[in-house]
Amino acid sequence: MTPVLCAAATIVLLLSQGLVAAPGLGNSPWKRNGLATQRFEIQGTEGRNNPLRRKLDEPYAGDELFVRYYLNYDAGTIDLPNEDEGEFLVLWLDIGEGSDASTHSQHVPNIGIHVKGNQNRFMIRYVSRGEAYGPPLVGDRDILVVGRLSKTVPGRDQPFDRLELWIDPEPQDHPEPVASVSSRRAPHVVEWIGFSTGAKTEVDDRIQVWDIDVAATWEELFGLPPAPEPESLEPLPEEQRTVTFADDVYPILKARCFDCHSGEDATEGVRLDVLDEVVNQTAPRDAAGSRLFQLVSEEEMPPDGPALSDHELQILRAWIDEGLHWDEQLLPTPVPQTDHWAFQPIRRPDIPTVANAGWIRTPVDAFIARKHEEQGLVPAPAADAQTLHRRLSLDLLGLPPDRAEADVPFETLIDRFLARPEYGERWGRHWLDVARWAESNGHQHNLLRPHAWRYRDWVIDAFASDKPYDQFVREQLAGDALEPYSDENLVATGFLSAARYSGNELDKDIQRNDILVDVVNTTARALLGLTVECAQCHTHKFDPISIRDYYRFQAFFTKGQPVNVVLSGEGEAARELVEERWRIFDTVHDRLVVAKRRQGVPDPIYIVPATVIRGMKPAEKKRFEELDRAIAGFDQTWAWYSPMTANGDVAVAPHEMRWPLPRRPSVLERLRTTILIRGDVKSRGPEVSPGWPAVFGPMPGEPDNPRLALANWMTDPANPLVARVWVNRIWQWHFGHGLVETSGDFGTQGTPPTHPELLDFLASELIDSGWSTRHIHRLILNSATYRQSSTFSAANDAIDPGNQLLWRWTPRRLEAEAIRDSILAVSGQLDARRGGPSDEGASSRRSIYLRQRRGNLPHQQMLFDGANGIASCTQRRVSTTALQPLWLLNSRFIQDAAEALATRVETVDEAFQLAVAREPTRDERAALHDLAGEFGMVSACLAILNSSEFLYIP
Amino acid sequence: MSPSPVDAMNHTSPTLSRRSFAAASGFAMGTLALRSLLAEESAGSTGDAPRPHHPPTARSVIVLFMAGGPSQVDTFDPKPELAKLAGKDVPESIARNVPKIKRAGLKNLMASHWDFHPRGECGMPISTLLPETAKFADDLCVIRSMTHRNPVHGPGECVALTGTGAGDRPSVGAWSVYGLGSASQELPSFIAMNLMTAGMQYPQAAGWGPGFLPSRFQGTVVEPARGIHDVDMPDGVGNARRLRELAVIQQLNRRFLESVEQHSELEARIRSYEMAFRMQTAAPELFNVGQESQQTQRMYGLDADQTKTVGRACLLARRMVERGVRFIQIRVGGWDAHGNIKGNHTNMAGRTDRPIAALIADLKQRGLLDSTLLVWGGEFGRTPTMEGRAKGRDHSPAAYSVWLAGGGVRGGQIIGQTDPIGYTVTERPVKPVELHATMLHALGIDSDRLVYDHHGLLETPVGVTGGQPVLEAFA
Repeated sequence: MTPVLCAAATIVLLLSQGLVAAPGLGNSPWKRNGLATQRFEIQGTEGRNNPLRRKLDEPYAGDELFVRYYLNYDAGTIDLPNEDEGEFLVLWLDIGEGSDASTHSQHVPNIGIHVKGNQNRFMIRYVSRGEAYGPPLVGDRDILVVGRLSKTVPGRDQPFDRLELWIDPEPQDHPEPVASVSSRRAPHVVEWIGFSTGAKTEVDDRIQVWDIDVAATWEELFGLPPAPEPESLEPLPEEQRTVTFADDVYPILKARCFDCHSGEDATEGVRLDVLDEVVNQTAPRDAAGSRLFQLVSEEEMPPDGPALSDHELQILRAWIDEGLHWDEQLLPTPVPQTDHWAFQPIRRPDIPTVANAGWIRTPVDAFIARKHEEQGLVPAPAADAQTLHRRLSLDLLGLPPDRAEADVPFETLIDRFLARPEYGERWGRHWLDVARWAESNGHQHNLLRPHAWRYRDWVIDAFASDKPYDQFVREQLAGDALEPYSDENLVATGFLSAARYSGNELDKDIQRNDILVDVVNTTARALLGLTVECAQCHTHKFDPISIRDYYRFQAFFTKGQPVNVVLSGEGEAARELVEERWRIFDTVHDRLVVAKRRQGVPDPIYIVPATVIRGMKPAEKKRFEELDRAIAGFDQTWAWYSPMTANGDVAVAPHEMRWPLPRRPSVLERLRTTILIRGDVKSRGPEVSPGWPAVFGPMPGEPDNPRLALANWMTDPANPLVARVWVNRIWQWHFGHGLVETSGDFGTQGTPPTHPELLDFLASELIDSGWSTRHIHRLILNSATYRQSSTFSAANDAIDPGNQLLWRWTPRRLEAEAIRDSILAVSGQLDARRGGPSDEGASSRRSIYLRQRRGNLPHQQMLFDGANGIASCTQRRVSTTALQPLWLLNSRFIQDAAEALATRVETVDEAFQLAVAREPTRDERAALHDLAGEFGMVSACLAILNSSEFLYIP
Repeated sequence: MSPSPVDAMNHTSPTLSRRSFAAASGFAMGTLALRSLLAEESAGSTGDAPRPHHPPTARSVIVLFMAGGPSQVDTFDPKPELAKLAGKDVPESIARNVPKIKRAGLKNLMASHWDFHPRGECGMPISTLLPETAKFADDLCVIRSMTHRNPVHGPGECVALTGTGAGDRPSVGAWSVYGLGSASQELPSFIAMNLMTAGMQYPQAAGWGPGFLPSRFQGTVVEPARGIHDVDMPDGVGNARRLRELAVIQQLNRRFLESVEQHSELEARIRSYEMAFRMQTAAPELFNVGQESQQTQRMYGLDADQTKTVGRACLLARRMVERGVRFIQIRVGGWDAHGNIKGNHTNMAGRTDRPIAALIADLKQRGLLDSTLLVWGGEFGRTPTMEGRAKGRDHSPAAYSVWLAGGGVRGGQIIGQTDPIGYTVTERPVKPVELHATMLHALGIDSDRLVYDHHGLLETPVGVTGGQPVLEAFA
């Protein structure tokens, strides 16, 4: 029979794990020498020869590699060991090509024919005399030879230490191998495969091989449907309401329960006139499992009068089973009453009159001075100009001062610095902490988000241009919904989409809920200064936030999720390509599902994107890859996407995870929000609609765009929290701690403000200035309070040891980023290029441009208490550990810096001046001079870079 | 090759060089300063040295974290029923209790490839997979009833080491050093080693992270072969030069502190240089396992390719315990046996069993086992059913086994019970936070009273859901 020639077949595969490139016999041709024919007819030379060999598309280091070929050995040319010497032919898999005559035999997987006793048998081996054998070779027959190379310890750098053999297997049965061998000394990567003949292979032997292929799975090797995977979101049971609350349920409750179980002093505290508490007495959609229903059906309740009738019980049962429909008009959730300071309206206070009037520079000082005077504190004298210059430069720019500006008046410096892009880089980083921003999905698979940097640049620009804070908030919460559409606004939603995303979570409900929880907790903490996470499981113990409030807040975000969006101008072109890509994907996906169902798997959840790509036909695959490349060429951003608000033109670009979020807009549109009992995704309580916590008053009606309504409510001057929280953060970043020490918790468990009126004054100034952050900076920076020196006073210390009332400047350590940036700056190594994709590996740009890969942040950043990008970080801690000096003394980075600084200066004075912006004292000069004299300028520079003064804002 | 003078110094006299540092820097390191340093590194922020809540039974903890999830029914939880039910579905009576996790397969039960025999005087059954560990059956307290709900490696590992899957809470090691401070003046108090991380189980940094605690409580990750980051002086820098540099640095830093006055952070910074210098001496010494006898090295398997990686880490763990390191975490990846559990577990046991048994034996012979708590286990167990056709087992957090040894634990006992196929817990469920509470209990810490004020929330190691230590382990 004529062998089927499939050598040109291009079956390209992808492994399920994205780290390893697929093995594939791509388009590169087989490399033949004169002894293999077009038809892959192989003859021997009676010596070692490699007649046929080729390279894989890419080196393959996955955990499993399957290989197959058909073989037909002309019976007339086979000799047995007792006739002549027997036969030899192997397929090898190796790291390199070798030459025509290389043996590919020692510690190289071989699969083929070898002499055993008086037979030619199929065999596998890594080394000579390490063979394992299968059945004997039969001539003139098409024989399917299959091998499997695998790593018992998975990993790129692990050896392919196991080799198994099948001869003529029935692919469907996935039978056991007929032989297997192991070797610790095996290649960990395969890049070439080929056939070797040997001394026993005669010139007149006629061997045909064909249909040679490699694949990452057994299924793929035989074109079987891939091994089983995920499903879409569990649809929320459709509300099938056979009873209505107002007409059916309410009358029963009112007549039979409310006498005892309603109002503030309900019996045993059980109120049935408030949804939150009814929820506590019922199991979600399960009347039989609900305490409320049990008590009435077992006639324990009501205690007096007749038991409930069957009809009444039926209504209650249906009401609970159907999801506890409630009528808020009829029985509104009582608005929690609170006198907690932070929930009261902001009131602009009068500026206090104080005795020390001469000290006052801005109204800020009047509030500070009043407290001083009340407590008997005396403010520290003003710091000198050098110190102030350095303080301001580190505070606003995160970089040491430029000597050329030493004589510029302080007020001018403030304006100058606030207008510099370095200010945006420094203060933008503060906000990124709060926004728990990073550039990878987090969790186990932790895929990079290559377009997330646009949000980082947007934040930097927002600070540099003094974007009004209300606008800053609105764009981040609802930038996708603002009219007219702009790319910048869409990029701003990177605040929401910075949530982590587990691509290894099979359960879509859990996967999406984790993201929503992250978004809710971050939004509440960042903008409202509230820790709401407790209410995820139960009504907050301390703050007036109920579990219902929590899920109403979540409902603002339910119909959206993080995605890559193509920026405008290209939306339409991109969308066509994206749609074509998905058409191919869906066609193949559906084909695989059908095949799987035919095999008796009704719900094939294990068909993941990688499986689909593996299952593509060559033409599909080729086009699919072309499309992916073309789509990757469009400018994109990692944004928040909701079909409810998205601009019509928007194109969502793919971001493949093992188990991706649902893709179809219709799925998102249909999503609804329910209370999750005890926070458990599988315990769905009553459905809720979007709303802010009830303590802040009702949502007016049902807005068309709830998320935009949320943004507008937040930035309404009447909102008691947003402006206060923001000016407090600004204060904290200037002084090291806020007027409210717990800057992320303005709730009842947080600390009260040290200067409540000052907080309200600044909040009023913020709003009245058109939400200008720069205005607040000026009020603070121009103040006498900010200009104090760090001079200690024992008398003050006895009254206020923590300096809560700001009677001096407390020097504080620079953040991780500013430490690195300062070192780069003084050593003249700072690469001033701004913006764009982040740097991975060696970089001399500012630290804000270093790649923020969750769980794997730059070493130095973690060493000095950098933010981890997981939860909103409202205040950096300051840890002091011995590992920090080790880095500051021994790392390559510091050595380079010390050397660079040493070559920049002539004298130790100069180095000292560059680093800490002052002349050294006589003692300091002497010590550094001696050190430089003995061990060189580098040594002195190293000492300077290690000095506390260099690392602290003075 | 590192011509590091620190190495050379080590072999001569570390004490002398410490003294010479003190002399050169003009800084005397008294016990007073040390006490305040300890205080600052721990929960006792009142200035007192941290004090345990009750008398501890362990001074150190070593967590042997088997990442990927070893199978309970093939190690410490024998299920003869599986052999009878092989190939069949999970009986309905058990299936009903299996959590509705998408990957909890209910078809095709698979018998263990290994036999179980009673081991030690206690007769505890341990599979032939772990023959060396089995020799210490009388020292092991096996908990067969560990349970949680997260079947995914990443969050599962976070659950196992931080209590929740989110990865934002402190690791149990961080809580430990927050609670007690360091017992070492020259080494980090919490050290983590990640071994064999290639392949599917990526280490989850949260497992040794500080969560919301200050970052000084995080585990210091060291490579067993290389030691602590940046501990070696650069080429060409000699000890004399370094001492002079440190003296100048301390002079500058003291002057700055004097100009500011009353700044505990700046004081701590000055002390951190002393500690760094001591670490520079102590760390290379710690990692110089060449000081150990040939016999010891062989015992840990340093002579065999298969065992040397884990063996070195275990030997280092013992050396860390001797030097007062409070919490040591060795993470060994690779137990994720989806296909071919026989091959995978044989290989993983081959790499870990001997070194771990050697660690127990060695601690014992040095009298350190009584004060060192060992904890062995993964982020979850595996299904009693076969996964696909590949003769492997899938992830299963519903019931899995861990063991404790030393540190006041009564060996030779088994806590908790699972159903006849080892799928669900039937008696004495233990949550990961309760295992943490147990470790902390051994260290003298009451988890309910170890509190950290996080944005106004008073957080404890057991979180909002709470949990109690497994006190019977110590009975």
